[in-house]
Amino acid sequence: MFFKILVSHLLGYMNIVVEGYFIERFMNSCISKKILLWNVKREKASILYANIGIKDFKRLKKIAKTTKCKVKIQEKKGLPFLIKRYQKRKLFFICLVLIFLAIFVLSNFIWNIEVTGNQKISQTEILELLEKQGLKIGSMKGNIDTKQVIQKVRLERDDIAWIGIELTGTNAIVEVVEAEEKPDMINPEEFCNIVADAEGIITEVKALNGIPQVKKGDIVKKGDILISGTIEGKYTEVSYVHSEGEVEAKIWYSEKTEVPYREQKIERTGLEEKRYGIKINNFQINFYKTLSNFEKYDTIIENKKLKLFSDFYLPITFVTKRNYETKVKDVTHSKEEATDIGIQELESKLKEQIGEDKQVVDKHVNVKEKEQGIEVELVYEVLEKIGTKEKIEV
Amino acid sequence: MFKRKKQEEPDGKNKRKKLEEILELPKEVISDKPRVTIVGFEQMLIENYKGILEYEEFFIKISTHIGTININGFNMKLEQLTTDDIMITGKIESMDLESIT
Repeated sequence: MFFKILVSHLLGYMNIVVEGYFIERFMNSCISKKILLWNVKREKASILYANIGIKDFKRLKKIAKTTKCKVKIQEKKGLPFLIKRYQKRKLFFICLVLIFLAIFVLSNFIWNIEVTGNQKISQTEILELLEKQGLKIGSMKGNIDTKQVIQKVRLERDDIAWIGIELTGTNAIVEVVEAEEKPDMINPEEFCNIVADAEGIITEVKALNGIPQVKKGDIVKKGDILISGTIEGKYTEVSYVHSEGEVEAKIWYSEKTEVPYREQKIERTGLEEKRYGIKINNFQINFYKTLSNFEKYDTIIENKKLKLFSDFYLPITFVTKRNYETKVKDVTHSKEEATDIGIQELESKLKEQIGEDKQVVDKHVNVKEKEQGIEVELVYEVLEKIGTKEKIEV
Repeated sequence: MFKRKKQEEPDGKNKRKKLEEILELPKEVISDKPRVTIVGFEQMLIENYKGILEYEEFFIKISTHIGTININGFNMKLEQLTTDDIMITGKIESMDLESIT
């Protein structure tokens, strides 16, 4: 029953109005001739609304004649009528088909490559590597053998420990794990010295094996032997050991800058203009005049890839160009201000050099006045372990 | 001839009845008795009917092989009309049965 109604939705059905005085007879003869009626509703004494399948409607005429009822079509529904209605709009359908085809074709290509996990190796470097193996923006998905690409990349580069390529939609997600640089390990059976890596004053020497060559308070240069692996006895021959131990020293880090009293600073005025464009591969269409209204300005270009759903990238990028108007401003600093600026600048520089986990013992600031500005020097004293092992060639 | 047939008929009916009982067939499938199912007070399904005698929005009279069914209500629609069953939807208020004796 339900199935029959569903089929008639597909094949088309009509909403009819039956008018007459023998409506019960009309219905009964419909039933006896196996004509399916549904949603039958009577209004007043002589009007009946009903739905009927498109094929049964032709047979209805006879029954209507014999029962002296008038049948009118109120509404035509279903797929065949829908198609008929849209038959005149051929272009619309052609476009619809073309869009589906385009989506289908475009989904076979890769339009975006996401690289994650890289820290030391730049993204462009990885993209170049992948391009050599055939994985680039615009390449067919079917032609890419991810396993082969992975193997080749790993063979070529030693600093990539692992690489994974996942193709989802038109998006290729490349995950990279970089190999950590291994320090040159010296075999414990071989002989070695411990050598200073940096200049400094020794604060502590702990020799576990070998003879310490320096004391607390000694000044060492880079490359000086701290703990020697060669043992020369008075009465014995020269022998060698694998020396081990820790040497701590005070090391200076210093940085210098000059801060002028008068400076020309570029500032944004707050005015902003936006320009839009569309980029298809390397072909760009701009929706603006090339010249900006501002005399001096910064430009920031943002590229946004269009995508359908979450993974279906299209080969179209939306470009927004933002121009910020700028102004040159003369700024004068007093002596104190200039030194403050210098110190702040240097502090951030030094912190980057030293790293956060080391112990800073002392800070010095040296200030020199000059004609144009002020020269600031910042010195940090840091306690650090400075020994590294160096092999002895026997 | 006539006598024989008359004698056989009750016998045949008995056998049929026994068979039905053994097979546990639903009665409305084998006999021409109607089956009326009401879901809530809004939906009514009548199977095994003969025809529609009267149909108004507030009153429906349906004939079956063993009598007529009268249904009173409001806004009653015939949802499905097939040779075997009628589905009535709407507010059903009362229903009475008249059996032909």
